[in-house]
Amino acid sequence: MAPIISAVGVGKTFRQLKRQAGFGGALRGLVSRDYTEIRAVEGIAFSIEPGEAVGYLGPNGAGKSTMIKMMTGILTPSAGTLSVLGREPHSNRILNARDIGVVFGQRSQLWWDLPVRDSFELNRHIYDIPDSRFADNLAYLTQMLDMGSYIGRPVRQLSLGQRMRAEIAMALLHDPKILFLDEPTIGLDVVAKDAVRRFLAEINRERGTTIILTTHDLVDIEQICPRLIMVDDGKLLFDGELRHLRATLGSRRRLTLEFATDPGPLTLKTATLAADEGAAKHYLLENEAVSLIDVLNEVGPAHGLKDIKLEEPDIEEVIRTFYLNKPKLAGSAP
Amino acid sequence: MQRPLVVIPHLVRMYVRTRFEYPGATMLGWLSQIVAYGGIYTAIALIVTRFGNLGGWIWPEMALLLSFHLLAYSLGASFSFTQFRDIEEKVRLGTFDAVLVKPIGAWTYLVFSGINIGYAGHVLLALGLMAWSLPQVGADWTPLTVLFFLATLVSSAAMVCATMTMIGATALVWVKSSHLYSIFFGFWELARYPLQIFPFPLQILMLTFVPLGFLAYVPVAVALGKPVALLGSAAPLAALAIGPLWVLIAMAHWHYCLRNYQGAGG
Repeated sequence: MAPIISAVGVGKTFRQLKRQAGFGGALRGLVSRDYTEIRAVEGIAFSIEPGEAVGYLGPNGAGKSTMIKMMTGILTPSAGTLSVLGREPHSNRILNARDIGVVFGQRSQLWWDLPVRDSFELNRHIYDIPDSRFADNLAYLTQMLDMGSYIGRPVRQLSLGQRMRAEIAMALLHDPKILFLDEPTIGLDVVAKDAVRRFLAEINRERGTTIILTTHDLVDIEQICPRLIMVDDGKLLFDGELRHLRATLGSRRRLTLEFATDPGPLTLKTATLAADEGAAKHYLLENEAVSLIDVLNEVGPAHGLKDIKLEEPDIEEVIRTFYLNKPKLAGSAP
Repeated sequence: MQRPLVVIPHLVRMYVRTRFEYPGATMLGWLSQIVAYGGIYTAIALIVTRFGNLGGWIWPEMALLLSFHLLAYSLGASFSFTQFRDIEEKVRLGTFDAVLVKPIGAWTYLVFSGINIGYAGHVLLALGLMAWSLPQVGADWTPLTVLFFLATLVSSAAMVCATMTMIGATALVWVKSSHLYSIFFGFWELARYPLQIFPFPLQILMLTFVPLGFLAYVPVAVALGKPVALLGSAAPLAALAIGPLWVLIAMAHWHYCLRNYQGAGG
């Protein structure tokens, strides 16, 4: 099957004015316009098959949004070849837009002062969606995203979670082949994040919609995307299944044990002590295969264990660890 | 091409509905424009009637010039001013990206999703002043001159819309372009008066690089049979051509800026 998205050596360079320090520098800047080239994306190559759900992950400034903007036709690549649904997205922007849906986590596409339903109706005309398909999709999305109670309310009156569900619904009304989501869970509370993740996983599974998702949140990837593309400084760091990455970096999970009273020094075979605060002890789990039950078995009932907390590494830490382990990982990415 | 034509009425309807979410503010906006422009025009009327004429133009002729200036501007600006003034903020906040992922031309979407009915106050005042002045200027109105008058009105409005497009499009590359509006409105104020009252270099400027002399002075002078500074017998054709010419330049500029859009980061 031909890939639905193909990137070969894609790069994007921005020209940025060199700013000189101080008031004198600002004045000099008026007459001397020196620019530096910022490589936001550099030599990115991947291909995505129809029906895949891919997490595009990286820290701030890694080039995630720039790549999404190039795939959606907003920006023109400075280098390489990019193909979305067999077309160059930037030179076929309007055609490309008919077949994709885009959700920006922090930029609403809904009409702020009008009811949600009105924005949906406008999209029906913009995308030329047949009446029966529009009615079916609207009913399905309203039910799946639980929008029935607020679809008739002005967008300005919605919570962030409600608005995000409406944004996602609007992006799916025309049955796009690819759904791009730029940080769709940013700022959402736990319940809203969960609802969004479950829905996206379902739409990918049930309808076969290809999903490309940028995020800082590893849980988004875990619950929606079996495949992960990780970038930093505009370059590709990792492209493969999440479990391959986690298998390598599992040692970075953090375990906190809280005791009723300080049990004294406590060494575990399953975890390495990272910090000892007396009654609270912090460990790093060395092995991805180690579970909480293993830890509980090893600690045993004698020490008066009160609470236990296992934290997944945040994305910054994952990438930091990834960098540290890069020589080991070379060639391991599928 | 057919799709945008179908979508346009829906875009306009959405914007009008948005404005009517705040009916008090909309009505007050109309009223304030009528009062503000009415005040300016009253002052000009007092000056012209006190001194008899301004550059050879008596008050009814000046009233026609002012009404044409306001009508052409408000027709052009209702399709463009707020839409393109706000591009700068859209670029800065990244919301312009959302326009670019719709299967419709970005210019069409911006213009028709923001048609500013707030200019109704301008239009009402301009039409009223025009209706008062037309019978008094003693022009020889034939079907051809009426057609010419209407065509130049459209041409002037198109020039305004094209200029706003160019200023707004510049923000796609420079991120900030609002200072260009200050320059525009500086010349726009001058375009309310007969061109010959200004120094010669300014007359040249307002018929070339900043062609706001064509906004009202040239077409109204032609309609009234008055000699047109610098242009002479070429004035009628120039008044008709300036709008389409400026539109072509604006289209090229818009497409160039859109191709070179970089966003403001993120």
